[in-house]
Amino acid sequence: MNGGPDKRTGVLSGIRVLDFSWKTVGPWAPRLLTHYGAEVIHVERADGWDSHRYNATPHIMSDDAQPVDLPGATQTHIDPQFNTLGEEKAADGKEQQVLYAAPYFNTLHHGKLAISLNTKSPEGLQLVDQLIGKCDALVENFSGGVLASWGLTWEKMKEINPRLVYMSTTGFGHTGDWKGYRSFGPTAAAQSGLSLASGLPGKPPAGWGFSYLDVMGGWMGGLALVQGLLRAKKTGKGARIDYSVTEGAMSMLGTYLLDYQVNGRPTRRPGFPPGNRAVFPALAPHNTYRCAGRDRVGQDWWVFIACETQAQFEALCGVMEQPALALDPQFATNEARVAHQDALDDIIGRWTRPRRRYAIMRLCQEAGVIAASVQSAEDRVEYDPQLQHRQMYPVIEHPELGAVPNEGYPVKMSRTPAFVHGRAPAYGEHNQYVYGELLGMSDEEIHSLRERGVI
Amino acid sequence: MAGIYDGLTVIELADRRNQWAGKMLSDGGARVIQIEPVAGSPGRWCGPFVDDEPDPDRCIDYWWYNTGKESLAIDISRPVSGPLIRDLLSQADVFLDSALPGTLTELGLDYPSLKSNKALIHVSLTDFGQDGPWRDYAMNDHAHLALGGQMSSSGYSDPKETPIGGQGRHAWHMGCAFVLHGITVALFDRESSGAGQYVDVSIHDACALGTEAAVPQWMYYGSTMYRHTGMHANPKRLPPLQLPTADGKYIIAVMQNFGTRVWNYLLAWMDEKGVSGELHDPIFQDEAYRMSEYRTGSVIRDAVARLIAASDGEECFHRAQENGISWGLVHAAEENYDVAHYQQRDYWREIEHPEIGRAIPYPRGPFDCDALGIEPRGRAPHLGENTDPILTQDLGLSAESISALRDSGAVR
Repeated sequence: MNGGPDKRTGVLSGIRVLDFSWKTVGPWAPRLLTHYGAEVIHVERADGWDSHRYNATPHIMSDDAQPVDLPGATQTHIDPQFNTLGEEKAADGKEQQVLYAAPYFNTLHHGKLAISLNTKSPEGLQLVDQLIGKCDALVENFSGGVLASWGLTWEKMKEINPRLVYMSTTGFGHTGDWKGYRSFGPTAAAQSGLSLASGLPGKPPAGWGFSYLDVMGGWMGGLALVQGLLRAKKTGKGARIDYSVTEGAMSMLGTYLLDYQVNGRPTRRPGFPPGNRAVFPALAPHNTYRCAGRDRVGQDWWVFIACETQAQFEALCGVMEQPALALDPQFATNEARVAHQDALDDIIGRWTRPRRRYAIMRLCQEAGVIAASVQSAEDRVEYDPQLQHRQMYPVIEHPELGAVPNEGYPVKMSRTPAFVHGRAPAYGEHNQYVYGELLGMSDEEIHSLRERGVI
Repeated sequence: MAGIYDGLTVIELADRRNQWAGKMLSDGGARVIQIEPVAGSPGRWCGPFVDDEPDPDRCIDYWWYNTGKESLAIDISRPVSGPLIRDLLSQADVFLDSALPGTLTELGLDYPSLKSNKALIHVSLTDFGQDGPWRDYAMNDHAHLALGGQMSSSGYSDPKETPIGGQGRHAWHMGCAFVLHGITVALFDRESSGAGQYVDVSIHDACALGTEAAVPQWMYYGSTMYRHTGMHANPKRLPPLQLPTADGKYIIAVMQNFGTRVWNYLLAWMDEKGVSGELHDPIFQDEAYRMSEYRTGSVIRDAVARLIAASDGEECFHRAQENGISWGLVHAAEENYDVAHYQQRDYWREIEHPEIGRAIPYPRGPFDCDALGIEPRGRAPHLGENTDPILTQDLGLSAESISALRDSGAVR
């Protein structure tokens, strides 16, 4: 079980969210509410709209890729990011296993309930209307216009449930010339200016090696959702939130935008972005340095080191057993170090190169110097003592996978603690609860809906 | 405009880590009093500055992260300051700090010392939270991107090249996002319980959560990711998706499908540019074959790269998007000022700046929602700009007392 609908505790218990989200940015928002006990009903269509469930490849328990052929499936959306073994289709995909074997889906939807629903059927849309009447919030991240194409306008939602909080996440918002444009995390990162601000000078943008805006964007969407629910609790009124991920990203780039307005300094300029160096304020050292060893795929290990104060630099010289550096006019002050940081980086890099990254981090930190290993997922999940201490990967029992770790929640609250409610649901696992208990349908009616392909 | 945080009083201990959270509270209508050292918040001294001349009232980074706040410049380490700050906190709804763990206890400003205000929500945003073996380690934003996993996935395909952390204080943004979650959930609780609470947020915990599929890939598959230039890290080496355009920019050529409409359009566009190559071979009429070839071969990928290389960036973006292809153009942040779409969405807010004698357009904020009402409500305060009114009106001090405090160097 994933906890089920009847065991919810927490400060948001009693809040019910209808979750039409897919991919990444959408599901994150309501997932954050499950950590406080909200009942999130994830709605899935049987035509394969969410690659995170349907294209879980490779299969966890076999060596082969096994996209599932579900009844009624007409297409599967291919996402190269999560399809790592090619496109071979298994002839005998075992439905139950495949439905569980979706790591990223499990991550994004843990603690939720799941129902199936055919939104292309008029009866299905009537069920949506009924569910809106039973929910406090509705979340979706379709391209603009999809809900309206179902006849589900904000005016209609309000009429059904005046307290409803409707939070829509899109790449570019529901108005303006680009309202029909489509976006994934990398699209929004590129358009906003975020990608350009990451990389080495003189090289192509490095951007972010994952959809930062699907993650942070989902967290911001979740914030809007909680804010809307707070307002509804205070005023009894619902709200429509039009959240454009690109605009959200631009609202984290304010310093660059204002610098351009005031000083005329663009981010598209020689020398920017500066790799891992610091521009405002200019500090040196402030960089990554190669260490001994490589990861499992042959990439070197690195450590980040920075000195923000003179005391830190002098301490670093001591750690490196090169106290004379602090007396060298090239490096004696931060201003001098910034002017000579190529030379300084060479010296520090020669010191780190034969040494192991966690040993460097420990030595520096014991001397009060900023230092951090560049940690992979393996490093964080398996070896990071801080994350273990903070219980960031709580273990949840899974009927098929056994005891598996899940991502936890980074806020520790003294009165209303957050928690991991349970595993991700199987496809349609909670149809009986939602259609039977919540909407009051008989077993015969539910059976008939299933027979007719409505659910 | 009414805001979601209207009516709240927030006391923010100045720090670069927490100031975006304070800004969002202020933009949402809260009264945010930032308690600064008499020499100014560290946020006032990082630059960039107007005309690149250091001045605590002309720091552009500070302007952005402190819209609408009030400034109380007071030395919190002075014994005379403690009762004043405790008095202020006794009237507050939210106390936001980023102090090193343990230091507030020494000052009598830790949560147990403030409990007489039963409704107070005290949120600490720190590098590692209030406990754990790394609690006292020294960090900055970039160090968090290293330790939290962002860098491990980001950088270049060349395995000898360094991992990269994105510029722009995003580890702190991630921490602040959860500060705001914590505060808003605590307010939700307080509506019915009347009770406040203590909220402990760790930037490292937040960052560790923010690497998308890297953690599940490791947990379920034992995969280590290759970094790829300008695109997602992946357990397999993948061909590039960030492709150069004719005018020296880059397109993120995210391809989700090659349905008939998309394919026919791409093919016509390629014909127009003379780069379609062998794609008129009948075998490419089969959608399944197209997807397969794209994922495992190089014919379509090479043609897409040639198409983008033969087209300008804006042309690529709009022609693709108008035909259902989710490509993005790597824009510079400042180039968004000229985009009509954002103007149509009323995205910019003119904020007056007497320091430069004119208004400048600020981003509205993440949400288009009048009901939440989150947008900049005024410029950032000058150092100590509100010290006198706060000491007078909120704390009831006489002009003589304020003068004495100022003479002693305790306030500015």
